[in-house]
Amino acid sequence: MNTTRFSLGKYVCGMAASLIIFLAGGWLILAPFALGYQPYGADWVSQTTNSFVMGICVAVVALVAFFLFFYSLLGSLRASGVLVAPSRIVAQAPVSYQAQAPMPQATPQTQSELDKTLTTLAAALAADLNSRRQAGSDQQNDQAQSMVNRSEAR
Amino acid sequence: MSTRDAMRRLIPPGSYVLFLFFLAGIWLTISPFAMTTQPSGFHWIASTVNSFTIGVIMMVVSLLGILGYMLLALRDLIRETQAKQLAEQQVS
Repeated sequence: MNTTRFSLGKYVCGMAASLIIFLAGGWLILAPFALGYQPYGADWVSQTTNSFVMGICVAVVALVAFFLFFYSLLGSLRASGVLVAPSRIVAQAPVSYQAQAPMPQATPQTQSELDKTLTTLAAALAADLNSRRQAGSDQQNDQAQSMVNRSEAR
Repeated sequence: MSTRDAMRRLIPPGSYVLFLFFLAGIWLTISPFAMTTQPSGFHWIASTVNSFTIGVIMMVVSLLGILGYMLLALRDLIRETQAKQLAEQQVS
């Protein structure tokens, strides 16, 4: 069985760096007032302006970086099957599927595990779609039959 | 896997943002001297110490973040490649 070890360390590394820089940005905003080099009630000195502007930019962009790493982590978890991808309801295309359509047969020696899994999945999906379509056509036939019966009764 | 794909896996969008922080750290480190708020020849004033310290922290942390991600992603890539080669050998 082909197993790939899955590591979260790289995402945690990026998220931790972003979080530390976010805290540094917060400190940059507060520092002129906390350290007292901005006189109270006076116009902002140039150090205060520089520190404050840099702090806001750093904090905002650090949040962006954090979420970028976070979404990468989520994508990786979905890819590995830990998280289930959000299911999308897709309208059925008017294409007739054949459940028992002959699947391309590859020799077992050359078919990898992934190919086998995908083949099984595709066959199961095709069978499911076909059964749903047959159930829908049966229901339509029943409705049509009942309408015919009603018209005959009148 | 092509070189482009490998680079994409080694350098995610977040690493570009971390590189921006590295540049911001450089600016914070030199800003007291570039803006001449630090008097020449005197002991460093509080704002200079603060700005310099935060700048160095940002540079170090962003570099560690970029390099740490890159190294761990590289390790994952190597493991995947080894696992694929092993599987191909088992099949053949």
